[in-house]
Amino acid sequence: MSDAQGSAEAAVLSAHRISKSFGEIPVLFSIDFDIKPGEVHAIIGENGAGKSTLIKILSGIESPTSGTIHYDGKAVTLPPNGEAEAMGIVLIHQELNLAEHLTVADSIFLGRELKKYGFLDLAEMRRRSAAVLDTLHVHVDPDARINELSVADKQMVEIAKAISRDARVLIMDEPTAVLSVGETETLFEQIRRLTARGVAVIFISHKLDEIMDLADRVTVLRDGQLIATVPTEAMTPDSIAQMMVGRELSNLYPPKHEPDVDAPIVLSVRGLQAPGVKDISFDLRRGEILGFAGLIGSGRTAVAEAVAGLNHKTAGEVSMNGKPANFSDVAKSVAAGLAYMTKDRKGRGLLLNMGLQPNLTLLTLKKHLKGGFLDQNSEAQALERAVRRFDIRARDASVRVGQLSGGNQQKLMLGKTMESEPDIIIMDEPTRGIDVGTKQQIYHIIAALAAEGKSIILISSEMQEVIGLSHRVLVMREGRLAGKLEGAEIVEAEIMRYAAGIKQGGDDERINA
Amino acid sequence: MSLKAIALGLLATSALVGGAVAQDEQIKIGVSIPAATHGFMGGLNWHAQEAEKRLEAAHPNIDLIIVTADGPDDQASDLEDLVSVQQINALVVLPFESEPLTEPVRAVKEAGAFITVVDRGLTDPSIQDIYVSGNNTEMGVNSAEYIKSRLTEGDNIVILRGIPTVLDTERFDAFMGAIEGSGINVLDDEFANWNRDDGFEVMQDFLSRFPDIDAVWAQDDDITLGVVEAIKQAGRESEMFVVGGAGMKEIIKGVMDGDALVPVDVLYSPAQIATAMDVTVAHYTSNGPVTGTYILGAPLITQENAEDFYFPDSPF
Amino acid sequence: MSVSTHEAAKPAKGLRIDFKTLGPLLALILLVILGYSLNPLFLGEGNITNILTRSAFIGIIAVGATFVITAGGIDLSVGSMAAFIAGVMIIVMNWAVDAMGASLWTVLFGIGCSLILGVGAGFINGFLTTKAKIEAFIVTLGTMGIYRSLVTYFADGGTLSLANGARDIYRPVYYDSFLRIPYPVWVFIFVAIIGWVLMNRTAFGRYCMAIGSNEHVARYSAIKVDRVKTATYILQGLCVSLATIIYVPRLGSASAATGVLWELEAIAAVIIGGTMLKGGFGRVGGTVIGALILTAIGNILNLTEIISNYLNGAVQGVIIVAAVYLQRGSLRAGRKKAAE
Repeated sequence: MSDAQGSAEAAVLSAHRISKSFGEIPVLFSIDFDIKPGEVHAIIGENGAGKSTLIKILSGIESPTSGTIHYDGKAVTLPPNGEAEAMGIVLIHQELNLAEHLTVADSIFLGRELKKYGFLDLAEMRRRSAAVLDTLHVHVDPDARINELSVADKQMVEIAKAISRDARVLIMDEPTAVLSVGETETLFEQIRRLTARGVAVIFISHKLDEIMDLADRVTVLRDGQLIATVPTEAMTPDSIAQMMVGRELSNLYPPKHEPDVDAPIVLSVRGLQAPGVKDISFDLRRGEILGFAGLIGSGRTAVAEAVAGLNHKTAGEVSMNGKPANFSDVAKSVAAGLAYMTKDRKGRGLLLNMGLQPNLTLLTLKKHLKGGFLDQNSEAQALERAVRRFDIRARDASVRVGQLSGGNQQKLMLGKTMESEPDIIIMDEPTRGIDVGTKQQIYHIIAALAAEGKSIILISSEMQEVIGLSHRVLVMREGRLAGKLEGAEIVEAEIMRYAAGIKQGGDDERINA
Repeated sequence: MSLKAIALGLLATSALVGGAVAQDEQIKIGVSIPAATHGFMGGLNWHAQEAEKRLEAAHPNIDLIIVTADGPDDQASDLEDLVSVQQINALVVLPFESEPLTEPVRAVKEAGAFITVVDRGLTDPSIQDIYVSGNNTEMGVNSAEYIKSRLTEGDNIVILRGIPTVLDTERFDAFMGAIEGSGINVLDDEFANWNRDDGFEVMQDFLSRFPDIDAVWAQDDDITLGVVEAIKQAGRESEMFVVGGAGMKEIIKGVMDGDALVPVDVLYSPAQIATAMDVTVAHYTSNGPVTGTYILGAPLITQENAEDFYFPDSPF
Repeated sequence: MSVSTHEAAKPAKGLRIDFKTLGPLLALILLVILGYSLNPLFLGEGNITNILTRSAFIGIIAVGATFVITAGGIDLSVGSMAAFIAGVMIIVMNWAVDAMGASLWTVLFGIGCSLILGVGAGFINGFLTTKAKIEAFIVTLGTMGIYRSLVTYFADGGTLSLANGARDIYRPVYYDSFLRIPYPVWVFIFVAIIGWVLMNRTAFGRYCMAIGSNEHVARYSAIKVDRVKTATYILQGLCVSLATIIYVPRLGSASAATGVLWELEAIAAVIIGGTMLKGGFGRVGGTVIGALILTAIGNILNLTEIISNYLNGAVQGVIIVAAVYLQRGSLRAGRKKAAE
């Protein structure tokens, strides 16, 4: 895909013996890194390995404690606060840094607006935005507001912004974490188009298959150390994963227990309608892991939120253990033993500016009341239990949840959800944006919960995850159930066919799972 | 159908004619004053409304329109409305502040209205036809004279001032001028914002600071009420007396009843607005034109004459 | 890196509390030293009593405001609400005196009315923000104007004064003491203690912080967001009514000038005390210190002659900003310590 790997070609950006400490805590140890024009260089590592710090240093946002950075062969000190953008080094953050209420054209020219006689030249900015979007084959209206766009389109706007700045090095922090398969493919086409024009792309991802697909070289970090930088052809996903965790990563997915077909039905949904949901019916059995697959926006989260009482349903009946369970708010569903774990752990799941303990007990604070007052010992014990059970790792207890790695945040959220001792757990993207080691832990926890007799609905955009864990899989498309898969039918190609609308579910009986 | 139309037509015509006739004779006088945000202005509003009732009853062809403003900008807008919407013949105005309102009042003048200015003078006196005012200088002087008459050399007083404005400075400077050379010590002065709560707190602090106070010049009756409570709380009523100002009914009542703590008051009457409205109406109802300057006195109100200044129905 | 959470829990928590409390307290101590050096009378028993009693009004209201602000709201109506409640209290007590003569029951009747009005006014603010989905700033700006003009209307633009009979019975509530501490200070102390317990030791306080820091997370965590937010406004109304109950006997009057700018003073006390204006973090203890700081500034300015009267506002402004800076500065120090 690129022939820029000849070591003879000079690197556009390189780092030599970079170290970084926060206070007295070292996070990077003497890292060497370089990228050549037209190359895709992936950085991979577990959460906390130092990936984010490294790209922040490469984009000037953080300055290294020691070591040098060369740009076009010259030693430079990159300016802070994203001013390196003017030099052609652009970082696209994981949580896209776009002002929600500006238009696309406003966003593309934010901070370097075109002016005419001292006033904004809106027409020219609109024209040039349209031109840039056009070269990228992105079909987004320059006048659209950012908050009207899908996540994928927002990312395209970020890329357009970078291109319009003549970016020579584009750094992307987990760009595919929130994208569906189709959207990821579009993004990759885009990246290939850019590299063909000589742009260097640094790319962080947890998805090994993506890296195999896209990257020319891979740099593996572990605990702040450089483990290796190797050409992708020389690697397999397994060997990369081993380098990341430093141990053998056999059985990522725990063995599947055969589902008990005679297990009682604990949750039954009939004719559910809600915003984004059109007539959904399904059953969930005790001890079952029911996968929900589909593209982003296919209505899986809307189903979960309607069942959990977070959204009003317009029609349909839900029952738990044969009794009506039409919840009007979360408190009621939690009390009945049904818990929903949101996919948006930062915006919906956790209080980032608070500590671990208040986050853990927030859903179930009433359990920790003694005579009407909070019993902090009981809360501390709960945290102690959760830390042990879910292997939550924090520098110290006073750390704010926002400072935890994604994996630890996810484990804390799992702990919080499990505090309510639910019988039915709806997990929405439980491993989004976390490293493979933690993923494996979470997969084993999910399987263990099911083995204990809990029933789980697993919503995930990671096909492998759904396939690896679920006893049955429902595929959603545009708010409807498109298909139902069981046992040996659960394969990627089959799910994709339903999700993309190439194949429709057979008779209604099959769909009403 | 046709009967109804004729009836309606007749009604409309008569209304029109009636309106035209009334407009021929009707004199519209706009009265623009600050809103009732504290005691004194409350009294001023009350007196303006009382005068409106009285004057409109006495002169059927006089129409008084009272508008109240929350600030100088608001008042300037009020003036524009009085000219353009109400088409007033005359204006009685108590300017929020002198300087900012000079030009708006001039514009009213240029629209052909007769101008009466009350209390706070404009920076260009040539605009006004009539000027009616209380007397801040005399108020300060009379207060000082009374205190001098009660105290001797070496006695101590404290002063509570209003809000930093021209009006307050006039009173204060006149008072200080009159007290000078008497040998009476002014221990300190602080602003109490013509407000009871502030009067209470400032006086509490004066009391803890100064062991020997012989008199308090509070220069305003709202402040006086706060000061009195603070003195009572400290149990030092017998040690000093308080001189207020304005002519609030509660204070006048106390003076009438021989209150030793507040033995006198100095008039700075909110009724001056009524006086101004009277002379403005007189301009249209008496034989000749009325113009000139009317400075009201700031007499000392004592137990003997207090009854003349007592308006039990006024809110102030 | 991977220290188990529990081991480090105790010492780190201790440090955090120390440093965050220390900021406002430090500012207050500096202010006290300044006051004493300008005039030794500052620390006289009478003056201390004055400061504490005066802080009570703003302080009690500010304790309520701490909850509203912590839950991400704001209440601008408290000053007007206080004037309105004071006005209605005086009217009903005067009416009761006319109808039945003055007795203890007159005063209790007035106090009852005050509590009902406070709770009702708070409920209206809460209801409009949560159910009608109007921004708290706009709702309370509106009710602020409404209460202010209602009291002006009731008083005919002048002053409402409490009938003498009732005044004599009611007066001790402000002026008398128990154990040499005036009743208003006792009320302040009780409100502060109850407020602290509510904030730090009950689910309600935790919910306020959760809602203020992220309303979505609160909703997804089974918290009845609207109910908790409305409760903060009701609590605020209750605090205003308590403050009014001890305010009315001081001067026995209410007018359009009563409680002007109290809302800003209350908010300032809350912020000086370390609560975040954007919500999510509330400190009742800090609020109490904030109220004391505000009162002490005014008191010191009255006790000294070295600063021109015209500059009082400037001095207040500088001290308020400096106090908040101290608090934020020490916050940083606290975090650094915790990281070590």
